Amino acid sequence: MKKSYGLTLAALASVSLLLNACGGNNGGNNASPSASAANSGSSSPAASESAAPSDNGGEKINLSFWTLFDGGDGDNMQALVDEFNKTHPNIQVKNTKLVWGEYYTKLITAVGNGTGPDIGISHTSRLPDLIDQGVATSLDDVAADAGVDWGTFNQNLLNATVVDGEHYAVPIDTHPFIMYYNKKLLKDAGLLGDDGKPVLEQSADGFVKFLDTLKSKLPAKITPFALSNTNDDPYRLWWALYSQLGGNDVVADDLKTAAVDADKGAKAADYIQKLFTNGYIKKNDPDFYKNFQSGTAAIMMTGVWATGTWESTKGLEFGAMPIPKIFDKEATWGDSHTIILPTTKDNDPAKRKAALIFANWVADNGQIWAKAGHIPSKPSVLEKPEFKALPYRSDYVSVADTVKFSKPSTKVWQIRDNSSFKFLNEVWANKMTPAEAMAKMQEETQKILNE
Amino acid sequence: MKMSKLKADAQALLFLLPFLAVYIVFTIWPMIKGVEMTFYKWTLIKKMKYVGWDNYQRMFHDQEVWAAIWHSAIFVILTTPTMLVLAIALALIANRQSRLQKLYRSVFFLPSVLSVAVASYLGLFIFQPYNGFVNTLLHLIGLLPGHQEIFWLTETTLSWIALTLITLWWTVGFNFILYLSAMQDIPDEIKEAARLDGATDSVLFWKIVLPHLGPITKTITMLQIISSFKVFMQIYIITGGGPLDKTRPIIQLIYQTGFRKNDLGYAATMSYLLFVILLILSALQYWMNNRKGADAR
Repeated sequence: MKKSYGLTLAALASVSLLLNACGGNNGGNNASPSASAANSGSSSPAASESAAPSDNGGEKINLSFWTLFDGGDGDNMQALVDEFNKTHPNIQVKNTKLVWGEYYTKLITAVGNGTGPDIGISHTSRLPDLIDQGVATSLDDVAADAGVDWGTFNQNLLNATVVDGEHYAVPIDTHPFIMYYNKKLLKDAGLLGDDGKPVLEQSADGFVKFLDTLKSKLPAKITPFALSNTNDDPYRLWWALYSQLGGNDVVADDLKTAAVDADKGAKAADYIQKLFTNGYIKKNDPDFYKNFQSGTAAIMMTGVWATGTWESTKGLEFGAMPIPKIFDKEATWGDSHTIILPTTKDNDPAKRKAALIFANWVADNGQIWAKAGHIPSKPSVLEKPEFKALPYRSDYVSVADTVKFSKPSTKVWQIRDNSSFKFLNEVWANKMTPAEAMAKMQEETQKILNE
Repeated sequence: MKMSKLKADAQALLFLLPFLAVYIVFTIWPMIKGVEMTFYKWTLIKKMKYVGWDNYQRMFHDQEVWAAIWHSAIFVILTTPTMLVLAIALALIANRQSRLQKLYRSVFFLPSVLSVAVASYLGLFIFQPYNGFVNTLLHLIGLLPGHQEIFWLTETTLSWIALTLITLWWTVGFNFILYLSAMQDIPDEIKEAARLDGATDSVLFWKIVLPHLGPITKTITMLQIISSFKVFMQIYIITGGGPLDKTRPIIQLIYQTGFRKNDLGYAATMSYLLFVILLILSALQYWMNNRKGADAR
C-alpha cells in the first residue's frame, strides 16, 4: 500500500500541473466586456506604484481607484493613470485591480463598511443599483468646481447615467454590439465590394440572403455566422432587433411594471431563431470567438472589445461595421464604462473634486482607452489624430448615437440574467416558441420587479 | 476526591479553551447570527428591515426552492447507487493478485486529488460538442454519424448523465480506497475455507465478500448522500444550472439569491432549510450506526 501511494502522489503532482495549465486560459470569451478583453493581452505588469515624490508640499491629494479591468483593458487603464499622475503632481491616483467577477460585490461591501475607494468604475447598467444601495453619489456638488462640462459628452451615453436629473457618473466609453466580417471569406463568396465592405442589403430579407449566399458558396465546414447559442451575445442581438422594431426595454417607464412588447419581441426572436434553425449559425458552438479568430467563420457579432483581439491575431483580415439595419430603424445593444465617486466616510470635497478632475481627464484622453476597441465618450476625442490613426474604430463610432441603453431600473441585470437569458436560450435551442418566451419573460420580469 | 475531579475538569477546560473560543466565534456565533438574518431583509451592505416570518412564508410557496431541492435530490439518487457499485467493482479489480495491482490502485485514486475546478473543466472538455472527447470517440468508432453531434450539456437528461459521470470519475477514488481496505480486512481463512468447500468466484463474492462489506457500505451510503446533497461547484461550472435551471441545485440557488440578487436574508432562510434536511439525514445515519452496533452484539 505504502508504495502505491508514493506512485500516486508523484503521478498526481505532474498531472495536476498539467491540468492547471489547461484550465488557466479557458476564460469564457463572451461572458463580459472585461473578461473577454482579458484574452487580448498578456498578463498586465504588476501595478507599479511610483514612489510618491517627497518634495511636494502638503497640497498633494492621494486617491484610491478600484478597477475591474484585465488584460489589454487593464494595461490601457494603467497607462492612463500613470500619464495622469505624471501630468498632475498634486493629485496621485493609485490603481487597484480587482477581479471582474467579484468586483461589484467587493465594492458594495467595502463601501458599506467604510473602506471603499475614492474612485470606482461602474457599468451604466449597474449604476441604478449602486445608487439605490447608496454606493454611487451624485456628482453635481463638485462637477462645476472640477471643470466638468457635461455638454462635451456624447449625450446618448450621458443621458443613460443621469437619474432624476442628477449626474451620477462620468462615462468614459461605450462598448456596443457590432458586426465583424472576414474579408477573405466574403471575397471568396463574392460578397466583398471594391471598397472592402460587405455587399449587403440592409433589410430582414437582405441579411438572410447574404447569409444564404455565404452558406452555399463557402465550404461546408465554414460557419456563415459565428454566434454563441446561449446568454449574452444572442440576447444582445435580440435586444438590438427588438429596439430596431421600436421595442422600448422590457420594463415600463415607472420601473415597476414589466412591459415586454410581445409582438415586437416575438418578431425579433423569431427572426433570430430561424438563423439558428436554418443552419447559418453553428449549433452549440463551443467557442464562437475561436471560430471567427481561426478564420473558419465568415461573420460574427459581439461587443467592440473584440477589435483589439482580432488586431493582434496574425493572418486575420477582418472588417468591422455597425450591425445591419434589419428592421425599421438603426439600434443596437450597448453598455458603458463610467467612473463613479463612491460614498466615503467623510465625503471630503477636496478629494471629490480631485477625483472628478481625474475622471474628466480620462474621458478627454479616450484615444488611449480606445486601443481595446471601445468608442470614446467625448465626440472631440474622435477628431484627435491619435484616434484617427487607429484603424477600424472609425467604421463604427457612429453606433454610439444608436445604442439603446436599458432604463435605469435597479433590477436591469437581474432581469437579464434570470429572465431574458433563460427563456431566449430556449428559443435559440428551438424548445420554446418566441411567443411563449415573451409571455414567460413578461411574467418572470414582473416577479423580479416585485421582489 | 471531589475537589480533585473538579480540578481535573477545570484543567481540561483550560486546554479546551483556545479551541472553544475559536469555535464559538467562527461557528456557533455565525450560526446564531444566521438565524437572525432569516427574519430580516438583509443586503450586502446591511440595509436591514425586520420582516418577521415573511422569508419563511415566501420560501414555502417558492417553486424555485422546491425545484432546486428536488434537483439536489435527483443528484443524490443518481450518484449514490452508481457510486457504490463502481467503487466495489474497482476495489475488486484492484484487490486481485496481479502485476498491475499497484497501477490499478494509483490510477483509480488519481482523479480524487484534483480540485473541483480542474475536474469540472476537464468534464467540460470531455462533453463539449464538435471537439470534445466523448463525441470524438463516438465518431471514431462509428457509433455517431460524422455530421451529427450529441449535445451533452444542453439537454436536461444528458446533462444529468454527464454530471453524474464526471462526479463518479472524480470522487470514486475515496470510496474505492474504503472498500479496498475493507476487503483486505476479510480474513483469508474464511475465503480459503469457502474455496475448499468448492465455492466459485461468484459465490465467494455474493456470500462472503459482500456481507463483509455491509458496515462500510452503510457508512459510505450516508456520507455519499450528505455530500451529494451539498453539490454545487461542478454543476455551477459545467452546466451553470441550465438548461432552464433544470439542473440547478439548492446551494446554487442560495448563492444566487444571496450574492447575485443581494438578498442575504432570504438566502439564509434557504440555508436553514438545507440545514434541517441535512440534520435529519445525519440523525438517520446516527440511528442506523447505533442499530448496527446493537446487531453486532
